Amino acid sequence: MSEVLPEAAQRRLSSSAFSSGLTVPDFAACLDLGLQPVGLVQGFCVMRWGWYGAGSGFSRGISPYAMGNQNSDAYSETYRCPHGFVSNEHRMWGQNIEQPWVEDAWHQGYDAAYARMLDEATALSAHGVIGVVDRITHLAESQTTEFHFLGTAVVVGDGPPPAGGIPWTTYLAGQRLTKSIEAGFMPIAVVASLASVRVWAYCMTEYLMEGGRTWGGPTNSQEVDQVSRAHMAVRQLARKRVRQQLHGDALHGAQLQVDKRELSAGDEVIDCTLRGNRMRRFKDFDVVPAPRPTVRLS
Amino acid sequence: MSEGVDVRAEMLRGAQSLAVAAPSTKARGITSDLSIDEALLLHSAGWEPVDLVCGVSVVSIPYGVWNWGQGEIVSASTAHNAAVEGAAEQLRDECRKAKGYGVVGVRVEVEVRTHHVDVELVGTAVRPVEGSKVTPPATPFVSDLSARDFTLLKSAGWMPVGLAFGASFVYAPRRTAGAVLQQKTQNVELTNFTEAMYSARESAMERMQHSALAVGAQGVVQVKVTEGPMTFARHAVGFTAWGTSVRLEAGEHKFIAPQVILPLDDAVVTFSAQSLRGE
Repeated sequence: MSEVLPEAAQRRLSSSAFSSGLTVPDFAACLDLGLQPVGLVQGFCVMRWGWYGAGSGFSRGISPYAMGNQNSDAYSETYRCPHGFVSNEHRMWGQNIEQPWVEDAWHQGYDAAYARMLDEATALSAHGVIGVVDRITHLAESQTTEFHFLGTAVVVGDGPPPAGGIPWTTYLAGQRLTKSIEAGFMPIAVVASLASVRVWAYCMTEYLMEGGRTWGGPTNSQEVDQVSRAHMAVRQLARKRVRQQLHGDALHGAQLQVDKRELSAGDEVIDCTLRGNRMRRFKDFDVVPAPRPTVRLS
Repeated sequence: MSEGVDVRAEMLRGAQSLAVAAPSTKARGITSDLSIDEALLLHSAGWEPVDLVCGVSVVSIPYGVWNWGQGEIVSASTAHNAAVEGAAEQLRDECRKAKGYGVVGVRVEVEVRTHHVDVELVGTAVRPVEGSKVTPPATPFVSDLSARDFTLLKSAGWMPVGLAFGASFVYAPRRTAGAVLQQKTQNVELTNFTEAMYSARESAMERMQHSALAVGAQGVVQVKVTEGPMTFARHAVGFTAWGTSVRLEAGEHKFIAPQVILPLDDAVVTFSAQSLRGE
């Protein structure tokens, strides 16, 4: 929270009237929980993405000789052509490679917007931010992405501030938040991570994704191993990254989203985003009574 | 919200727990895409989420199989079924690693392209609350039922055993030149397409039922179907069917005897508050 709030924001936040993004039912549930809304807080960050194609400074890592990513923590797999030299166009090697530079840039934008929302919440002496909405949209100009956080800062009536003074955050609000608290789960933070894997197809992958009946390709259906493994890897990486942010807490209401850009047969960029609510158990779980089945007559 | 619970006191208790720094732990937290309602419901049935698990498989379709022919497009059907089975096996593998008993709420996404079929399965591995003390089954179940439906199914004495899947792609035979000329000025049924659709339907449904029987199921619930001509090969029709195969675990079906309720709120006149979040 190193950045100073804009003067206009400070003036708005110091007003005696509160603002909130809650629906009326969520607002009522919030009051019922003893939470006092103190302000609608937001954070923005607009990022411009560089060119990652061939010849750019960002296309590093893909090399038949590097045997994968130079960052030892990053995922990479190299595939070798079984045919030997055929022609200059023949894909003699292929690689699945994680793109940490894309992930880092995404986190830079995401984390900055999140921190700016927390800045506003902290300026209001809020204990938490509920009903968080995060939007990631591509602006009209290509290669430009806007990260936008929005939520309602709240104070727990008669409650102590969280350790370190950093407000807790959650996507939940209203009855769902109430049920979480009642079940013994306290929100800690919204967590998210992006994993990005580039597939540089080798000859067999290229053949299979084009129909596979040239250069000795199989005539029957078969699994496209390189692409399948890249898809699994990107999902595993996203989950691993989020798990690293949990520190033993639980992730509830997770949302896994995959965006795939096909560049040519087998060549793909796969981005996987995982987000959810980091929750911590603060009491032993009370099992809710077994539900009673009902049939509505209307 | 349960009656008799002071939610304000619980909130205060929660806030107080965060007022002190959490002790460092190496425990592996659970991850789940279930809503809080589903997680609580699952707990009421004695089950808990363990981990978010995925399975993906991309299987090739050889060049030329969509060209006009007769009968079933075997390569495409085989590729589809292989991709589903491959993704399901990966899902089961991740479930086993997480020590889950099965996967619920599986989201099924299938994309059939000219030269490949992509299948993605995402769900939450679950286990009985006491499951960490018991060895999980060698073959975890996979189900696209929601946690709510899973709980209801269990209370009726049934258990999901697997994802039953069947797909078939069939050529719609060419009409004869005479038929084309004769039908040019008529509103008539294209029997070649109807028959192709029936053929694809029968094969797909049979495969789905076979896949259920193969895992010892007695039936399939919540069957979904997709059908129609392929966008890239309009002379071919495809039919896919999938659902959760189930088996009676209890001695006999338990009747849940639902309570009849008549809500007094008017479903026609509702108040819809528009928030700043655009809901």
